[in-house]
Amino acid sequence: MSTRERTRPSLELRNTVKEYDGGGETVRALADVDFSVAPGEFVAVVGPSGSGKSTMLNTLGLLDVPTSGTVRVAGRDATTMTDPERTRARREYVGFVFQQFYLIGNLTALENVTLPTVYHDDPDAEERARTLLDRVGLGDRHDHTPDELSGGQKQRVAIARALVNGPDVVLADEPTGNLDRDTGEQVLGEFAQVTERGVGLVAVTHDPQVAEFADRTVRIVDGRLTEASGEAANLSREVEPP
Amino acid sequence: MALRNLNRNRTRSVLAALGIVIGVLAIATLGVFGNVLQLAATNSFGEVGSQVVVSPNDDVGVESFSERDLQVIRRAAEGRGEVVPLATGGGLVRANDESSAAQLYGTNQPGVLFTAESGEIPRQLRGGVLVGTQVADRLDIGVGSAVEIDGNRYRIVAILAEGEDISPVTPGRAVVLPPDEFADSDPSQVVIEANSREAASAAAGEIRATANARGQRLSVLELSSIVDRIAEFFSLLNSFLIALAGISLVVAGVAIFNVMLMSTSERRGEIGVLRAVGVQKRDVLRTLVVEAGLLGVAGGVVGLLLSLVAVYALYVLSPLALSVVANPSNLPFFALAFVFGVVVALASGLYPAWKAANLHPVEALRG
Repeated sequence: MSTRERTRPSLELRNTVKEYDGGGETVRALADVDFSVAPGEFVAVVGPSGSGKSTMLNTLGLLDVPTSGTVRVAGRDATTMTDPERTRARREYVGFVFQQFYLIGNLTALENVTLPTVYHDDPDAEERARTLLDRVGLGDRHDHTPDELSGGQKQRVAIARALVNGPDVVLADEPTGNLDRDTGEQVLGEFAQVTERGVGLVAVTHDPQVAEFADRTVRIVDGRLTEASGEAANLSREVEPP
Repeated sequence: MALRNLNRNRTRSVLAALGIVIGVLAIATLGVFGNVLQLAATNSFGEVGSQVVVSPNDDVGVESFSERDLQVIRRAAEGRGEVVPLATGGGLVRANDESSAAQLYGTNQPGVLFTAESGEIPRQLRGGVLVGTQVADRLDIGVGSAVEIDGNRYRIVAILAEGEDISPVTPGRAVVLPPDEFADSDPSQVVIEANSREAASAAAGEIRATANARGQRLSVLELSSIVDRIAEFFSLLNSFLIALAGISLVVAGVAIFNVMLMSTSERRGEIGVLRAVGVQKRDVLRTLVVEAGLLGVAGGVVGLLLSLVAVYALYVLSPLALSVVANPSNLPFFALAFVFGVVVALASGLYPAWKAANLHPVEALRG
């Protein structure tokens, strides 16, 4: 915990409220949430379905704009950004990992990893992608297409893709949701390695296994955030400062 | 990137491009066919349009021109062309113990209406005759030979060239004599060889207005208006054919629209990921529009190649001359078809692309 306090947070929600117009009545998905993730920190966000987990992740990831309050990325207020600015900030500071992997079918693993870079002049993107794939243990799978990969391998490709632009934080939505227990554990191991390199990680999950790997677990119920002391007890792993 | 996306679903891309191929093929081919038809038709009419043939109107009992009629005709033709009064009749031409029926024309200015194939047409025809090629071939005679017409002997001054044009005065089976040789030397028709179609129709209009002010004394056959009407018909036919082809291109546009819409809704998740990882809206839009444009260009090129094949087949299978089939005036139809194909592809790709690019990433990722 001391690491987090010393370092400037990579992503931060302050008094954040997100309301939806749901069939005439206003649904409050996030109610005055304060949250931050520090470099190298692995935070698990748990909570029942419909509690606002995904909304929180989308708001953190600049995919959604809060109704009130602020979202800060690298010290800047993202709520006043235009859409192209937010898109650019996502590219620079945030990586995403999804439950359904969302790899593109006829592209190879390597091409999938370089996807976030193809619209910009980025000559060493391929080199970085190769290094990342090697690092997640897919050194011999660069030219395989997703249907030639197992679920765990696909998710590792997705992790490499999330890291290719050198983000401050990786946001993962149910990263182990489509994986069996052993494969999930391998993926979580990759996450642990990611955080060791100083990248913050927020994983929204139902999976208690994720919480076991996290430095800290927060629980969200009806849009309200509480530190979940039970699961958060797992602080056995050291967090290395960047 | 766009190319790669098209490659990804090759069947779908090929089907969409096929729509454009058919549309472009239809527009180019039908346009060119219509144009070729028009060219071929007007070619065969040639200069016909600039002649006006005036004759007394038998139907109302007028059998010959009055002095006043001739004056009216001369005045109408003044500055517009040359007036050639013609005495006409039929007769039997004999030579070398053979005989052939011929159309006899009596005029002393044959140079205005006819050209010579061999020999020379005199400015004023006083003695001797001019013979059309068909008659000359039949009787095996040439310049300098003698022929017998209705018991009189004449020397042949020139052989008339076969005209390329349809004309009220056909030289092939004609024999032209000086008008004095006719029993009735009064002209039975007057031909105005006008300088242009416009002059011809103006002269015809004036004759109708003046001479026919009281009753239809003269019948005025003016081919220019007929040719104009034929040309008008062909250009109408052409527009009609192109409109027909245009419908097929619109159908192709709907097909592309559908393909792009399907493809973008199928790729919602992918577009969501692109947006999430920091690809700008305009880049997504650009990629998708380029995809549609590529379909249009590819379809257009194939369509043009196929229509070239079709036009070549038309040339091989029909008696049309190469100069007509390969006429430069056909090119605009190819250009029109190609441009139209690409525009239709872009237009029908634009909305799905715009819709996809503006999809909220959260919505897109929800699947």
